[in-house]
Amino acid sequence: MKEDAPLLEVRNLVKHFHVGGGLFGGRAGVVRAVDGVSFAIRRGETLGLVGESGCGKTTVGRCLLQLERPTSGQVLFEGRDLTTLDEDELRPIRRRVQVIFQDPYSSLNPRMTVGQILAEPLMVHDIVTDRERRGQRVRELLSHVGLLAQHAHRYPHQLSGGQRQRVGIARALAVEPALIVCDEPVSALDVSIQAQIINLLEDLQAGFGLTYLFVAHDLSVVRHISDRVAVMYLGKIVEITDRKSLYDVPRHPYTKALLSAVPIPDPALEGQRERVVLGGEVPSPLNPPAGCAFHPRCPIAIDRCRAEGPELREIGPGHRAACILA
Amino acid sequence: MLHSAGVSTLLSVENLQTHFVTRSGVVRAVDDVSWDVEEGETVALVGESGCGKSVSALSIMRLVAGPAGRIVGGRVLFKGRDILKLSEEEMRRVRGREIGMVFQEPMTSLNPVLSIGRQLTEGLEIHLGMTPADARRRAAELLGMVGIPDPERRLAQYPHQFSGGMRQRMMIAMALACKPSLILADEPTTALDVTIQAQILELMKDLSRRFGVAMLIITHNLGVVARYADRVNVMYAGRIIERGSARELYARPRHPYTLGLLRSVPRLDEPRRARLDPIEGQPPDLTRLPPGCAFTPRCAFSVARCGVESPPLAAVDQGGHVSACWEAAHLDRVPVRSAAT
Ligand SMILES: Nc1ncnc2c1ncn2[C@@H]1O[C@H](COP(=O)(O)OP(=O)(O)OP(=O)(O)O)[C@@H](O)[C@H]1O
Ligand SMILES: Nc1ncnc2c1ncn2[C@@H]1O[C@H](COP(=O)(O)OP(=O)(O)OP(=O)(O)O)[C@@H](O)[C@H]1O
Ligand code: SF4
Ligand SMILES: [Mg+2]
Ligand SMILES: [Mg+2]
Repeated sequence: MKEDAPLLEVRNLVKHFHVGGGLFGGRAGVVRAVDGVSFAIRRGETLGLVGESGCGKTTVGRCLLQLERPTSGQVLFEGRDLTTLDEDELRPIRRRVQVIFQDPYSSLNPRMTVGQILAEPLMVHDIVTDRERRGQRVRELLSHVGLLAQHAHRYPHQLSGGQRQRVGIARALAVEPALIVCDEPVSALDVSIQAQIINLLEDLQAGFGLTYLFVAHDLSVVRHISDRVAVMYLGKIVEITDRKSLYDVPRHPYTKALLSAVPIPDPALEGQRERVVLGGEVPSPLNPPAGCAFHPRCPIAIDRCRAEGPELREIGPGHRAACILA
Repeated sequence: MLHSAGVSTLLSVENLQTHFVTRSGVVRAVDDVSWDVEEGETVALVGESGCGKSVSALSIMRLVAGPAGRIVGGRVLFKGRDILKLSEEEMRRVRGREIGMVFQEPMTSLNPVLSIGRQLTEGLEIHLGMTPADARRRAAELLGMVGIPDPERRLAQYPHQFSGGMRQRMMIAMALACKPSLILADEPTTALDVTIQAQILELMKDLSRRFGVAMLIITHNLGVVARYADRVNVMYAGRIIERGSARELYARPRHPYTLGLLRSVPRLDEPRRARLDPIEGQPPDLTRLPPGCAFTPRCAFSVARCGVESPPLAAVDQGGHVSACWEAAHLDRVPVRSAAT
């Protein structure tokens, strides 16, 4: 591996939510949204994070940003454990770690103009105190994300979805972050605009040396943008490796099923394609299956899988998988 | 030919026009659009964000937000009856029972203060006359069917306690509840992971085959369209600009917008490209459409005539493939996949 320390390192991250048992009945329980996740991201790298709906991707992202306080585990950013910091100590760090949300509609304040939205972080973090220079910086940010100076006077509802997502990206860039958590940044957008935004994210990464955690469920997009990819299942990482290995030689049966489920935009091909459609129920994070959490849906499970929770172990250089048969 | 004489038309949208009056002008969200769905058929509606797909579906359900939004012209024949002429009472029945709808934004169509269970049982009790106990059992079954684990316990929860994908599945369960003859699914699986997407679409497809339920799938996922749709309508700026069988349309797109869409997506079956090939520019402002073809400002093939005269939807072959492009005849030599890899 590389000699330099990673920009971000997550160690054994756990986030549990307590649910039910309230006024409206339902048995009380604990949702193990994130259940012992470890990974590292190097400077300038993009780590893709994929997996089942509800497997904990957004919760991982929120725990990195400390928007959600982890139940246990460490989030080391530039060597400092963010989980031990209070709100005051976190403020300067919030500048360095930004997020782009899936929903460009609800993540922007509808009562502020685009100009105000972009100027706000510059003021809050005392980045540009001079008013005139702030206006200039706003125009600069707009141009970085492919918008025009006149867009500064518009309100979010006067923009298209793609334009709003560009504003979201510009707002993240405003504070000159090192790491951006992109939580499904393109899945709400039209296809032709998706390609524009992905190209934009790549250009900005190259231009500003950004590091991305890229959460998405579109595996074709994730292959395009990621250097390495982590696959999550039910609160745990089940496979993590470089892009090429993950897509060319996936080792975990869940990864294999995921890849075979991606529809290819070609009806002639789709007609002939073999696919692994996973049977079984999606297990509940309230009550994960014993042994390997994937075993009830796994096409190759053996008896041992029902008893033994597999470790995420090294199965090749930089390639880890949590399956006893991998 | 897909329209063999034996098949009857379930839904026929004729010259539908839905407009919104806004301060900046009239938005022609659906601008004289015609398409149909045969019994049991799966039809896709794809196109640019904001081109009028959701408004098309909402118009059929007569749920366009008034008073700004109004259906100003056309007919929507469902089983031969113009549903635009039904009383509100009759329409409620159509909505609950005959046409199921999966809305694009589950959070806005789910009631945040009603439990998941109650939202499901309500329709079952009203439309199917089930007892509360039966309805509850059926509700749990429906949740299980769309892949929500622990359905019994989940019934007591509220929408905000569900992940995005689970809310979407909950919407699908609601749409399926009363076994309708048509399902309008507006981006039904957009928020979902692919194995669940595959499961749900296979499930919807299976139900559609078994019970002869027809589907209109609104999606921007060209892969989903390729796998599930029999026919595809491509919309741009409030109009249909291309239509054909899925196979024909993907193999030989005859509109620059469709071609651009197919070229812009990364594909797992091809080597990774250094850069994606997007359609440049922005979707048009529907209150200020350019004269002539609305795609002109973004079109790499446009000729002088495009900026002046609006191209009609015209046949490009004998098999029902139509395109609204002046240059359609010249697009047959353009490869769908760009050579650069
Ligand atoms: N505030 C909360 N209270 C209770 N449970 C929660 C809460 N937030 C998330 N969860 C649960 O934690 C699990 C993980 O949710 P999360 O939103 O991280 O999933 P995700 O992988 O981002 O899913 P999606 O792909 O659907 O966005 C889910 O089971 C969800 O129901
Ligand atoms: N209540 C409203 N008032 C004014 N304009 C509206 C209203 N609802 C929709 N529109 C406009 O009508 C047009 C069509 O919107 P519609 O929601 O049908 O788009 P869509 O094709 O579903 O897009 P997407 O892929 O983003 O969901 C858009 O330009 C939109 O701005
Ligand atoms: S009519 Fe002209 S501008 Fe419109 S799509 Fe065809 S070539 Fe392009
Ligand atoms: Mg999420
Ligand atoms: Mg829509």
